[in-house]
Amino acid sequence: MTETMLLDPGMDLTLRPMRYPGFYERYRAAIRNTWTVEEVDLQSDLADLARLGPGERHLINRLVAFFATGDSIVANNLVLNLYQHVNAPEARLYLSRQLFEEAVHVQFYLTLLDTYLPDHDERVRAFAAVDHIPSIRDKAEFCFRWIDSINGLSRLETREDRRRFLLNLICFAACIEGLFFYGAFAYVYWFRSRGLLGGLATGTNWVFRDESMHMEFAFDVVDTVRREEPGLFDEELAAQVVRMMEEAVAAELAFARDLCGDGLGGMTAERMRAYLEYVADRRLARLGLPARYGTANPFAFMEFQDVQELANFFERRVSAYQVAVEGDVRLDESF
Amino acid sequence: MTQTNGATLARPQGGPAAAWQAIEEAAAGVVADPENSKTAARLLGGLIADETARHGVRSFSESVAAAHAEGLLDDGLAAFVAAEAAALDALVDEAADDRFEYFGLRTVYDRYLLRHPVTRGVLERPQHFLLRVACGLSSSVGEAAELYRLMSSLAYLPSSPTLFNSGTRRPQLSSCFLLDSPRDELEGIYERYGQVARLSKYAGGIGVSWTRVRSRGSLIRGTNGLSNGIVPWLRTLDASVAAVNQGGRRKGAACVYLETWHADVEEFLELRDNTGEDARRTHNLNLANWVPDEFMRRVEADGTWSLFDPKEAPELTDLWGEAFDARYRELEAAGRYVRQVPARALYARMMRTLAQTGNGWMTFKDAANRTSNQTALDRNVIHLSNLCTEILEVTSDAETAVCNLGSVNLAAHVTAEGVDWARLRATVRTAVRFLDRTIDLGYYPTPEAEAANLRWRPIGLGVMGLADVFFTLRLPFDAPEALALSTRIAEEIALAAYGASADLAAERGRHPSYGETRAARGVLHLDHYPASPVHPEEWAELRLRIEATGLRNSLMVAVAPTATIASIAGCHECVEPQVSNVFKRETLSGEFLQVNRYLVRDLRRLGLWTRETRDAIKTADGSVQGLPGLPDDLKALYRTAWELPQKALIDLAAARQPYVDQGQSLNLFMAAPTIGKLSSMYAYAWRSGLKTTYYLRSRPATRIAQTTVPAVRPEAAAEAVACSLENPEICEACQ
Repeated sequence: MTETMLLDPGMDLTLRPMRYPGFYERYRAAIRNTWTVEEVDLQSDLADLARLGPGERHLINRLVAFFATGDSIVANNLVLNLYQHVNAPEARLYLSRQLFEEAVHVQFYLTLLDTYLPDHDERVRAFAAVDHIPSIRDKAEFCFRWIDSINGLSRLETREDRRRFLLNLICFAACIEGLFFYGAFAYVYWFRSRGLLGGLATGTNWVFRDESMHMEFAFDVVDTVRREEPGLFDEELAAQVVRMMEEAVAAELAFARDLCGDGLGGMTAERMRAYLEYVADRRLARLGLPARYGTANPFAFMEFQDVQELANFFERRVSAYQVAVEGDVRLDESF
Repeated sequence: MTQTNGATLARPQGGPAAAWQAIEEAAAGVVADPENSKTAARLLGGLIADETARHGVRSFSESVAAAHAEGLLDDGLAAFVAAEAAALDALVDEAADDRFEYFGLRTVYDRYLLRHPVTRGVLERPQHFLLRVACGLSSSVGEAAELYRLMSSLAYLPSSPTLFNSGTRRPQLSSCFLLDSPRDELEGIYERYGQVARLSKYAGGIGVSWTRVRSRGSLIRGTNGLSNGIVPWLRTLDASVAAVNQGGRRKGAACVYLETWHADVEEFLELRDNTGEDARRTHNLNLANWVPDEFMRRVEADGTWSLFDPKEAPELTDLWGEAFDARYRELEAAGRYVRQVPARALYARMMRTLAQTGNGWMTFKDAANRTSNQTALDRNVIHLSNLCTEILEVTSDAETAVCNLGSVNLAAHVTAEGVDWARLRATVRTAVRFLDRTIDLGYYPTPEAEAANLRWRPIGLGVMGLADVFFTLRLPFDAPEALALSTRIAEEIALAAYGASADLAAERGRHPSYGETRAARGVLHLDHYPASPVHPEEWAELRLRIEATGLRNSLMVAVAPTATIASIAGCHECVEPQVSNVFKRETLSGEFLQVNRYLVRDLRRLGLWTRETRDAIKTADGSVQGLPGLPDDLKALYRTAWELPQKALIDLAAARQPYVDQGQSLNLFMAAPTIGKLSSMYAYAWRSGLKTTYYLRSRPATRIAQTTVPAVRPEAAAEAVACSLENPEICEACQ
């Protein structure tokens, strides 16, 4: 009999023999990195916020408004569209874990917003951003377009259905988590490179770590499907992915123009454009597609994300600890 | 990343904003070329000079006058500097700024230079700051010159509180305070909160024991209720510590110690968990286990461990060694325990806490007391260590132990030919005299701290830059030569420090409690160990001198973590191996990249310092083990803390211990810890005679996707390899 493929319709419940142990490992690794919102100390941020100029304050308010809704959109798509089509229980374990992480992110940004915006009316306006701030609404509409593309599907019966699934998955991994969120992280790290908003940066580090894993999982799924159904990811689909990426860059650039206005120190919409193009090329490269922009990374401070942190405990809580540890007491192991 | 090239690094025009951008770009280029660090530092030096000039400050004496006019400095210091202005101004060595790396100078600028209360601009240049610190501890120009030269050559730096506060109106110069456990009563506990807050306010780190406080379920006679145990009290302590901000420079920090027989020990170990009921968690407190030998013996024997309520067994806290063992067994035989657990089950719980939180440090009560100079009399007992586990001093309700710290930068005492022993000893002698001076000049936030410090006069001289010594001399951490050299360094420091303290005793008298010490009974710290010193004849001579003069200080050597001052000095921290060949530091002033400059020098020599190499090192999380073309001996030399056998770190610490009369902040590293490995490692540390250990560092199970190294589809990478193996003639990778 033929093996069940990852996107075959149905709800396989068999964990042994396990078809995709890599997904299960990703699930276990994610559990070891559990963090909670209570661990993030936002107190020092309040003093920093008071020192920001009006332009910087505008940037932060908009950013927080985007974060507040962004993770909810991702969570909704995950549970309403993706989960039902991934036909391997070990992969769905990971998606369940991802859903939990998205919930923690939503809680983090809610806590952040409550802390940053003490005024009740301002908070209400921030959450309504998706309705009345054009640059955020455009991003949300971009998301909804791709959510809707497979919204009506309850089974992936045809090849065309599976291609639509892939497009949705790639949109969420490469464009929303991989570009919109990465853009937003860059603003946070830009503040941190100037010694500002360390609490936001700490929480963002942890969100960033989670999102990196979500993206990697999604790309693993894409790789798996391409291996199982070699013809599915053809030139036409590739062209659609590139178009989608272009739209995402344009939407995020409009957001950047709204955030940066005429530019703030080292942060301008033009530099952000270069950064977004650079990131977009990386996403395309990960999918095995040629670079669309060929732009270099303008933000040297993003290099900080790639190397080990060594925090002085007087200063910050270190974010590098593991949660699950196994084994029994032994006195003769090598170390 | 963008390559930062030299062309953009010219002195910026157009005011501070442009200057900052140039500085940040140079700093971000550090990974490409470590020289960019010096460039960024020079640019920052220029910016600082401009900023001070805007406040009318050009010379040292002008800077002291300006800061004094703003109420920041002590009247006596201002008068001294005004009277000696010409001589002191002439001491300033402007060229010494070139010794700073960017991270060091940025730290100095952000946190140490005195600032105008209103404009927030700095009122002193880096060299002014060091000379001001020196003047605050001196009574003559000659003395100030001696200390200033040591600091400006980055050969020695006192601890942060001394750097922050020397010469100010409230010169709190001590690094750490150790408070005995509050008495088991409401008033005692609230009194302790107040003391902790006052000590913390002036930049001191806090260690406090909680062992005397009754455990959960214990009867409270006054109300006929049952106690909720120690957790609710520690929650209050947690909130109190977090509320105290050390003058805006850093957050308050405290470590709570609990003895392993306390019946609340399991709940104590959960205080830092990020799951469970938040009402039973303390997110800011650090935790340490104060472990008696009897517990470790029972772990080895796989025996039972009895947990006691301190209200029922109050005497255990004040006993150690055989007296403790006998009393513990007696109470146990009489069935007076709250409950019993398998010793290994509790030990496994301790190991789990270490792996999950890095906290729950293992410190050993009996080793600490058995070897201490302060515990010759039964009534003097060490009950805990401090925030960084390197200080071990007696405490009681009336005495809060204090320690004044400073560290010798070993990197400044080594050349390719070896360690300059004469210079090292000279540095130590000067350092000891000035550490002793801080005891008399310091401001003490509580009478208990003042009483203890004037009676015992302990100091904690430590080291930093041991890894730099090993890199310079090409000794891997686990080489036998490294062990011999590290031990010799510790011995030379101890010899010079004890000699200097004996000289001070001859000049100014022995410390008031000298009669209560082991030294007064002819026993020196190394006598507790089977040590074979390099200089036995010098030790014999020193012994005779001490017999005649006594000592000015009851304790002298402690290996502190040196996190901040090693950054200023630009060397590796204390006795630690490097964590990575490329890493970032996160501090209150933002993030900084550091590259192993020794490695870069070697790679340059081999023609391997390329963009590809940098990306490969970053991709490998700072490891060079997979770097093609790097010879095996260099791979061994440039292993990171994650790649070194931890046994070697413990062996180095154990061999050094005879010459370290207090403790060592020994961090241990394990990328993916298991209970089996951890329990073996800490049992070995205990058997080796270490008094304390510090953090367990582990690595996150998942990581952030890298953004500045090339992205590759894994299959594409695999295909490329396969292709080169199977079709060598057509593979473009082979051209």
